[in-house]
Amino acid sequence: MDEKTRTWVGGPEDPREGLEAVVALRRLLEALEAAQVENAFVAGWSWARIAEVLGVSKQAVHKKHAGRIKDKYPGEPPGKKGKSA
Amino acid sequence: MMFRRLTDRSRNCVETGFQEARMLGHDSLGDEDLLLGILRADEGIAAEALSSLGVTLEGAREESEEMLSDALDSIGISLEEIRREAGEAFEMRVPDDRRIPYSPRAKKALVEARKKMRALGDNYLGTEHILLGILRNEDGAAVRMLISMGVSPEVLEDRLFELRGRAAS
Repeated sequence: MDEKTRTWVGGPEDPREGLEAVVALRRLLEALEAAQVENAFVAGWSWARIAEVLGVSKQAVHKKHAGRIKDKYPGEPPGKKGKSA
Repeated sequence: MMFRRLTDRSRNCVETGFQEARMLGHDSLGDEDLLLGILRADEGIAAEALSSLGVTLEGAREESEEMLSDALDSIGISLEEIRREAGEAFEMRVPDDRRIPYSPRAKKALVEARKKMRALGDNYLGTEHILLGILRNEDGAAVRMLISMGVSPEVLEDRLFELRGRAAS
């Protein structure tokens, strides 16, 4: 672990490693956001509630995720179905 | 402009490169994705040179994923752990509704490919020119991937010209 922490975010001796870590992190962030928004949707959360926790507008969340998620889960959100049953 | 004189195979290689980029979660088309595109097109001198040196599509994909995972490791993040915790919804894939641009390195590879085409006196831009263009990015992800798969850019270039000579004769 010491070996790892020493090179945290590359350090000035290797800017490329640091910059590449940023790229990797950005890609991971996008994938993780998509997964967690999907998980929340499946759990029956509204777009408004998801947006609130993410700290962005409902429109922003909807624009970025609704198309993809609605394609994957056509019809009612799975979580909501479960609740009304 | 970027597509002038590209052979169908080269066009296909760029197209499949974009598909590979999307699948691997790359938010731009990297030069490594062009390399994957060549491998997936799997015809022509470039793919032949690569496969004769043991570079496979599967191997190159794995190498690309490993580079991501190594970069995250360097800042103390385990991709495996995150994959496990985020559950089935987690995938690196870039959603279909998001556009993926060319990266500067991919653009440069295609510009260099055109220069190579001219220098060689060819009137078509084939996958071999694209591969030569990719190799010009000495610091690029594609070259580093090849090196870690045990393939030196010089040897690959030699093999490419060898196969080219054979095809011409």
